[in-house]
Amino acid sequence: MTRGALIDDVVGEIARGMIPAYVYSDADVFELERDRVFGRAWTFLAHESELPDPGDYVVRRVLDDSFIVVRDESGRVRVHFNMCLHRGMQVCRAEVGNASHFRCPYHGWSYRNDGHLAGLPFHQDAYGGDDGLPRAAQHLLPPPRVDMVDGMIFVSLADDGPSLAEQIGEFAFYLGMYTRQSPDGLELRGPQRWRVRANWKIGCENFVGDMYHTPYTHRSVVDIGLFREPKAHKRKEGALYFAGTGGGTTYKLPAGDFRERMRYVGYPDEMIDRAAGSWSSEQVAMVATDGFIVSAATLFPNLSFVHNWPQVDDDGTVVPFISIRQWQPVSATETEVLSWFAVDRNAPEQFKRDSYRAYLMCFGSSGMFEQDDVENWVSITKVSLGSMARRLRLNTRMGLTAADEPINPRIGGFSGPGIARVGYSEFNQRNWLTLWSSHLAGGPIERTHPLGT
Amino acid sequence: MGVATYEPSLPFDDPRHLAAHRFLVEEAAILDAADWARWLELVTADVRYVMPVRVTTVSDAGYDARSDMAHFDEDRYALAKRVHRLLTEHAWTEDPPSRTRHLVTNVRTFPGPGDEVRVESTVLLFRSRGDREPEWLCARRDDVLRPTADGHRLAARHLTVEESVLRTQNLAILL
Repeated sequence: MTRGALIDDVVGEIARGMIPAYVYSDADVFELERDRVFGRAWTFLAHESELPDPGDYVVRRVLDDSFIVVRDESGRVRVHFNMCLHRGMQVCRAEVGNASHFRCPYHGWSYRNDGHLAGLPFHQDAYGGDDGLPRAAQHLLPPPRVDMVDGMIFVSLADDGPSLAEQIGEFAFYLGMYTRQSPDGLELRGPQRWRVRANWKIGCENFVGDMYHTPYTHRSVVDIGLFREPKAHKRKEGALYFAGTGGGTTYKLPAGDFRERMRYVGYPDEMIDRAAGSWSSEQVAMVATDGFIVSAATLFPNLSFVHNWPQVDDDGTVVPFISIRQWQPVSATETEVLSWFAVDRNAPEQFKRDSYRAYLMCFGSSGMFEQDDVENWVSITKVSLGSMARRLRLNTRMGLTAADEPINPRIGGFSGPGIARVGYSEFNQRNWLTLWSSHLAGGPIERTHPLGT
Repeated sequence: MGVATYEPSLPFDDPRHLAAHRFLVEEAAILDAADWARWLELVTADVRYVMPVRVTTVSDAGYDARSDMAHFDEDRYALAKRVHRLLTEHAWTEDPPSRTRHLVTNVRTFPGPGDEVRVESTVLLFRSRGDREPEWLCARRDDVLRPTADGHRLAARHLTVEESVLRTQNLAILL
């Protein structure tokens, strides 16, 4: 198949809700994603709470591009491409630490943490000093665009295009349900990192709207009384929403006011008071009036969120937790999962401890939910490699009649932006895949500015 | 940290070492038999089972594991939930089950505190899942074993896993 025919096939089939199974392992699709999704979209790198002090850094990737994310001596967060300007060695080979300078081990060029070249051996002898190499003008290559929202640091590898705020769009409303439980926002711990032999898109699609899998895939966590919600009859009462470039799932809460409903999922009163003051009246109304609370979500392209409230002891104490996770592609058939525990900075210490335990039991590398999810995703990826999978179009039409009419109407008067519907459907997966396929169809990125210093 | 202070272990014919070593070998047999209920009987009510997230840091950083994030950070409740889950009919990731071999070697035993012994060992876990490529995990174990009338019980296990990025689909098994 030519590239044009491939794109036409993918775009056309997704438009009718039938997903070509090969998109979960095809090498040509992956090459297109590398260029047209990850070469263009704003991609998450780190959270500023991971860099509390000057010199604190983490090293993160966008596919094969390695970036140092560092707080410089003036307190500003910087992002540098992790490649020496001279012969291309990685100037930082640790993944986390604190440094005033990064020194290349090859020839000893050293850079301040703000990226500027501080020194190099034999500058005068080898280069004639600033005549041959004007030192002050040299700095580690910055990515084309860096921006931050709610403490989350994103990069775009395209010179032009929508801003980060434009990319996120109205999903910002739902993002804030996770990130703004108080005005000071989140602190992140981790990430746990592990590699799974699964295509990166499957996790994105699962988190963006798959309420339908919860009662079945995760039946064991109901069996053992870890999480009481995901029984089939309860899960289908949740609302799915899609807004901007993100979508997610919710649970319907029992009757009650804002405080009672937040207590139900395990928040202590002081956190409820702060959330009531930090969230907009519409965000509060999503809980208080509509009776929905966020669960899983995905922001395009590859950042997901989860909020659950398991029982953390034999007395039935319910404690909520938040996790932020990134599905970082390694190849068409392998993904590195980065899974952070996130908690409101102002939460009581005891809550932070309990919430962390709740997270570890449910999600992450050992999480009892996540274990069974990944089993599905690895299996899908493996079986999508063959010639039969090339013939198969996966039915992703849930929620539509044969005439493409929605089975469940959108919720009238819903407090949040975008479109929300109660019940099982795959509108969100189709929306996410449509966004993804529009990037594939969007043509190659034109790099208008020479990337060099 | 990679460099620990050297402490000589008990002689290998010391009865305390022999008892501790036997416990580890018997435990490995129980884990490899996926006899989860029996394994749970081997841990104390106040057990702590921890596997911190390892990070790649420069050699003078002073740390190479996260102090505030682990793969496992378990008490008895959490371990019991994991075991009970595996005993349901719906723990899909272990059905078909993994076939595992826990290779436990380099066992060194140190006396105390009190009646307890501290046992340092290496575990190399081979895990086969169906037709897929097998997975390996290698970790140092630092255990605390507590003698009881029924033999030793595991009071603490600290796992220092050697990879920053685990090459395993999940941790549905125990090390």
